[in-house]
Amino acid sequence: MMDHLLTQAIAALSMGLIGAIVFSGVGLISGTDETTTIAPLTLLVALLGVPPAGVFTFFMAGAVAKHMTHAIPTALLGIPGDTLAVPLMPQAIMLRNLGVPHIALRKMVSGALIAAFVAVPLAVLFAVLLAPFGSMISKAAPWVFLAAAIAIAYFSSGRWSSVLLLIPFVLLIIGLQSVTGKYGVKLSVSYFLGIAIGPLIADLFSILSPTYRVGMRRDQVKTCSVAPDVKGWSGYFPNPLRVLDKQQRNWTVATAAISSATFVFSPVAMTVVMGELVGSRIHQAYHRLTTVIAARNGVTEATYIAEALIPLIAFGLPLSPVAAGPAAPLFNAPPRFFVDSATGQINNLHTLMNGWEFLVYGLLSVLLAALIAYPLTMNYAHRAASFVARKVSHESIIATFAGLIVVIGVWEGQLLGLAVIVTVGLFGGLLSRGFGFNSGVQFMGYYAAVLSVPAITKIFT
Amino acid sequence: MNDPIPGSLTAAQSLGGHAPRQATQQHSASASTVDTSHLVEVWGDTVDSRHLAWSVVLGIAISLGAFMVANRIFALFVHDAAMSRAYSMLVGLLACLVAGAVCARLFKPKRRVVEETADSARLQSVLDQLATEPGGLGSVADLPPAVAAEMKELGLYDLFADAERRVKETV
Repeated sequence: MMDHLLTQAIAALSMGLIGAIVFSGVGLISGTDETTTIAPLTLLVALLGVPPAGVFTFFMAGAVAKHMTHAIPTALLGIPGDTLAVPLMPQAIMLRNLGVPHIALRKMVSGALIAAFVAVPLAVLFAVLLAPFGSMISKAAPWVFLAAAIAIAYFSSGRWSSVLLLIPFVLLIIGLQSVTGKYGVKLSVSYFLGIAIGPLIADLFSILSPTYRVGMRRDQVKTCSVAPDVKGWSGYFPNPLRVLDKQQRNWTVATAAISSATFVFSPVAMTVVMGELVGSRIHQAYHRLTTVIAARNGVTEATYIAEALIPLIAFGLPLSPVAAGPAAPLFNAPPRFFVDSATGQINNLHTLMNGWEFLVYGLLSVLLAALIAYPLTMNYAHRAASFVARKVSHESIIATFAGLIVVIGVWEGQLLGLAVIVTVGLFGGLLSRGFGFNSGVQFMGYYAAVLSVPAITKIFT
Repeated sequence: MNDPIPGSLTAAQSLGGHAPRQATQQHSASASTVDTSHLVEVWGDTVDSRHLAWSVVLGIAISLGAFMVANRIFALFVHDAAMSRAYSMLVGLLACLVAGAVCARLFKPKRRVVEETADSARLQSVLDQLATEPGGLGSVADLPPAVAAEMKELGLYDLFADAERRVKETV
């Protein structure tokens, strides 16, 4: 018993540390999406046989650290660190134009840190409250996923077109599954990676077509302006609790608590709504800017944590956009972790860890992420942002992802795996570009194909 | 308003008394050397289409090559097939980073990097924008002391107070 605990704790500590370090770096590169970076590495960690607690802290510490460092491009370059940072752009740009980009950065990171410490215990609590309904939900899983897919599609920017697009998209996935099934190949990660990397694949196809290429031509390079380096504190880094004033702390805690309870809504939508709520209560303009940016970044952090933790702890089924995307390997990493749709049998972190373990290791992950990413963000933000802008070419990032697509595809299903990533990526990317049928909806579409469709066909046969 | 650049004072102090950068724009060396005839925008940034083609080829060749070689080698030494495949994937993913590093060395970024400092015109436009937003500028007099102190430290307090007065006068 003690041995078991010790192995888990050591694995949790070391893997959390590795996750925090790796993803602090990844967060600096703007535009790197969680599903394309965190998901494959978490899958790898799971498949290498790391104890469950280690897999969990690797994911959590990585996600939290990435969220902290992605505040750097957001605040200093005016480029959203990833899609979750988009709602923070107006405040970030205004603070930057006021000459205080460092304040935007500090408020964002401190907001995220406080929100993360609030969100972990609350998400565990909500999950425990929901857990009694777990067996009911897993029995009804096919229908729950169908309803969730339709709801998430409706709330995407494509609205009804996204809802209807679920039909051809689900058919595409079923078709691909039966083709690969003929050759005895069963794929899962390839679909996720295809969906997540879709926009890149669609762009690479477009560039090969003379018709599309005309529209993609540019006669000058993009301008990337780096905000000035301002250090407004003495010592190594400022005390995160003193960066926010009392009102900001209260608002961050309150909005983080509310958003921890929601796990099926998109984090971006929650962030916008909560930001408006806070903004309407603060009367002075500068104070409003800094409070809204702190609270909004807190909300993205809290929603993200809740969306990963609640479905994992309560159901063991990936019932949210985050759980279905970046956190997918915590649920499904065949042959180690799996959800059997036919028998309803679940074998993943849900069954391998209890509520207390999730709580303790969750808090440990946040702590590790804070220890690595917070001082890095506070001291090296300017140098890091300017290094990335000057030295890391977009070509090199595309090379890395091209390699990632091929390695994961071939690893999972030889050439068929690669073909599936490219096919799903191309169609998904085009649908997302043309209709606002975004990757969150596509992840749910994948689950609808895997879980809901067999149940639907059962009714009609 | 004696100090039109609120952040620059603290910046100068923290740098140990170095003068703040005078130029508002500083161009990176890479910008002038870029040949613009093959520029395209892919996945949110500008690239040279020839460099892009090479990057995709190198990315695939390096990572897939490493993965295949690792797969052969691990199959000889690691008896658990699933584990040997997982190790090969680790090698493959590391090779992706190597491919990225190689391409970063070969192909320079197609960006014009501008180091900017806050200027008073941009500052004014933010104040104007804030004044028109729902809620408006509000009043610095209502602020809790801690926030007022923070704004004073940043040199923003008087700026907002002035803007507030002007808005009131025009109304």
